[in-house]
Formats: sequence, structure tokens, C-alpha cells
Amino acid sequence: MNLASYRKKSPWILHYNAGGCNGCDIEILACLAPKYDIERFGMINTGNPKQSDILLVTGPVTKRSRERLVEIYAQMPEPKVVISCGACASTGGVFRGMYNCEGGVDQFIPVDVYVCGCGTRPEQIIDGVVQALAILEKKTKELEESVKLKREAVKEGHQLNRRHIADEIKPVLS
Amino acid sequence: MNDVLIPVILILLAPLLGGLLYGFERIVKARMQRRIGPPLLQPFYDFLKLAGKRRMMVHSAHAFLGIMHFVSLWFALAVLLLGGDLILVIFLHLLSTSLLILAGYSTRSIFSHLGANRAAISVLAYEPVLIILAVSIFMLNGTFDTAAVFTSSEPLLYKMPLAFIALLLVLPIKLKKSPFDVAEAHQEITGGVELEFSGLFYEAVYTAKWLDYVFCYTLVFLFAGSNILLGAGLLVFTFLYLNALDNSTARVSYKQMLRFSLGVAFSLAFINLLINSLT
Repeated sequence: MNLASYRKKSPWILHYNAGGCNGCDIEILACLAPKYDIERFGMINTGNPKQSDILLVTGPVTKRSRERLVEIYAQMPEPKVVISCGACASTGGVFRGMYNCEGGVDQFIPVDVYVCGCGTRPEQIIDGVVQALAILEKKTKELEESVKLKREAVKEGHQLNRRHIADEIKPVLS
Repeated sequence: MNDVLIPVILILLAPLLGGLLYGFERIVKARMQRRIGPPLLQPFYDFLKLAGKRRMMVHSAHAFLGIMHFVSLWFALAVLLLGGDLILVIFLHLLSTSLLILAGYSTRSIFSHLGANRAAISVLAYEPVLIILAVSIFMLNGTFDTAAVFTSSEPLLYKMPLAFIALLLVLPIKLKKSPFDVAEAHQEITGGVELEFSGLFYEAVYTAKWLDYVFCYTLVFLFAGSNILLGAGLLVFTFLYLNALDNSTARVSYKQMLRFSLGVAFSLAFINLLINSLT
């Protein structure tokens, strides 16, 4: 019996809305409701970055929410996976190019799974999370190997810092 | 020999039992909402996953307090099952809760502080009732030892039914169940005192929650004395009552909780004490 294989049965999800229209958020909540009931796979919507494995981001990143997004991402302990949920989170969607929007999530944090749709259907979200689980398992193994073989620590994407992001905000009207 | 062996086995298996109980509770709760619910061993899957996460801590004292919360709670449970002093058990439990509250205050997160405040208020709500309960048991048996309660042939339930009702009223506060879950309040302050724990250190707090289940159900079992059948009935009743209550009620504010527990539950326990001491 390999105990490590049971680890992927309990992904805890953190849901963050970076400034969308709440359409995708409602669909995420629908996943928790009796019809889809993702708790049968052991998923919980925790709301606490320090205890979660999967970051579900919805909505385009606005100028004010990007610091929070990076902060939340930095607070999650490795291994962690990011899913951008919906057209806005993946590319900016209909908000792309607006004065208050920065565009997709992947400009600020490394995204592993993109889920399309406006808004995404619950089936698609569940499918995206299942794909994310395979990536999570792979990342866990990489981390363990780096500890066992005393290799250099695995660097996930770019080591982002809140200050890098913060100093760019400039007044729109000058 | 036998009266030592069974408690020792129970004490050693307590986290396992509590985990199974928690898993079963999640299934029952899901079925009450017409969902399928997670597998029975889900708490243990969570346990394995949390062990593999990167170890992050706010500061070492915070992590230490979290682990000591678990250890002291297990110790309190051991004293309870081995037939120790009931007052001692209640204060050991209070010690373990206060360690967690201290851990909550030791970080700089406002949610953690808010949770610690509320946890302290919950202690204020249920602790007097438990103390009165212990005093009533002393009035009946002439001793605080739980060993005397476990071996007495006449169940406590028939002698002090009001105290049992009072215990039922404060159990949701102790187990952080709705409507009295202000201390945890996952949608509001995302877990309160346990907010800043992560990975291996959250595991200690998470497992302590399972131990708390075993502790509370042992308190319920105390009312059956040596009558095991009645004890099992009481356990099943309490389990269903707690889950039905948790599923069907909304959270009340801490003031309402305090007013209810000190107004209704405390007076019930006190009337019970008066009756016991008069007869």
C-alpha cells in the first residue's frame, strides 16, 4: 500500500475573484451544491491561502487586485497549482484593454490550467481541477526528489514579490 | 486488569477513532443535504496531504503552541478515560484551549486575533456549565473521580436529566458547530485561530479537532454509567442531534450565544445542582 498515492484525494481549493462579474464565481459555488458535489472528491473551498493547494482565479486582474493576487499566491505553501477560470482570467476577456484592467492572470503569476468559457460551466471547472490534480502530483514528486537528492530547490516560475508589482501603479489622469 | 486495558487502548486509538468519527460525520452531513459526500477516510487523506506540504510557520512559538494544544488535549482525554478527577479534566481541557487562543494572539493577523477573542468568549460560555456539571456529580457521588461514574450501576442520566440537557446545549459551542460556531466561522473569519497554521503544524490543530470529538462524546457517555447499551444510545442520539442542528441553523452572534448559554444552559445546570443537593 502506497500511502503517498492517497495525497491527491484531498485538494483544498482557494477561490479568488480578481475583479470579474461574479458569473464564474456562481458556477464555482454550483460545483459545491448537491448536483455536482465536488466534496465527494475531497475538495473543500477553504478560503485560507496557508492551507490550500489549488488557487482558482476568476475575473480579469484589475490594477488594485494584482497586489493581493500575488500576495495570496506567495502565501500558499508549495506544491501549489493555479487555475485561471473563465475567459477574463485567462486573457482579459471583454475587459481587455480597459483603463482599469491589466489583462490575464498569467501576466503576474504562473498559471497551470486555463479553463475557457464565459462563464465557465461547472463540468468544465471540475475537468480543469482534475487536470490540475495531475500537475499537483507531478510537482509534489519534483519537490520530494529535490529534497531527497539534495538538489537545488525547485523554483516555481519566477519568484514574485509584492513590491515588484506595487511600484508600477501610476495615476491614470495626470 | 480489564478496567485499565480498555481505557489505554481507547486513549492510544483516540486520534484514529476521532478521524473516523469526523469522516462519518461529513458523510452524514452531506446526506442530510442530499449530497453524496466525501469518502469515510477523507480526514486521513487530508492528513497525508498536509504532511507533504512545505513547512511554513509564522514564528516558532506559534507552531509550538499549536502542537502543545494537541498534546495537552490528548493528556486531558487520557485523564478522563483513566478515571481521573473531573475538575482536573475540565481544567486540562481549558489549558489546551487557552494554548490555542494564545497562539491566535501571537500572530499579527487580525482574523487570528478576532478568532482568539471569540474562542475566549466561547470558553466563557461553556466552561461554567461544565464546572456546575462536575459539582453536581460530586454532590451525587461524593467524589470527583470519573472512575466512580464509569462503574456506577445507576446511570447519571436518571439522576440529573437537566444537566444532560444543559450539556447538549453547550456541546455545539465546544465543538464549534452551528449555530454557535462564531469562534471558527469559516465563511466569516476563515477559521479564526487556526488561520495562520499551515502544513505539518496545521495537522496538529486539525487532529486536535478529532480528539475534541472523542472528548465530548466521552463526556456524553459519562451519563450512562456502566450501562453500555444506554451509552451507545446516548452517543447516537447526540451525534444525530449535533448534525441536524449544525445543518439546520444559521450562525448567531457571540452576544446571543453568551446570553443563551449563560441564561438557559447555565440556569438549567444550576437548578439541577440545587435539586441534587436538596435531595
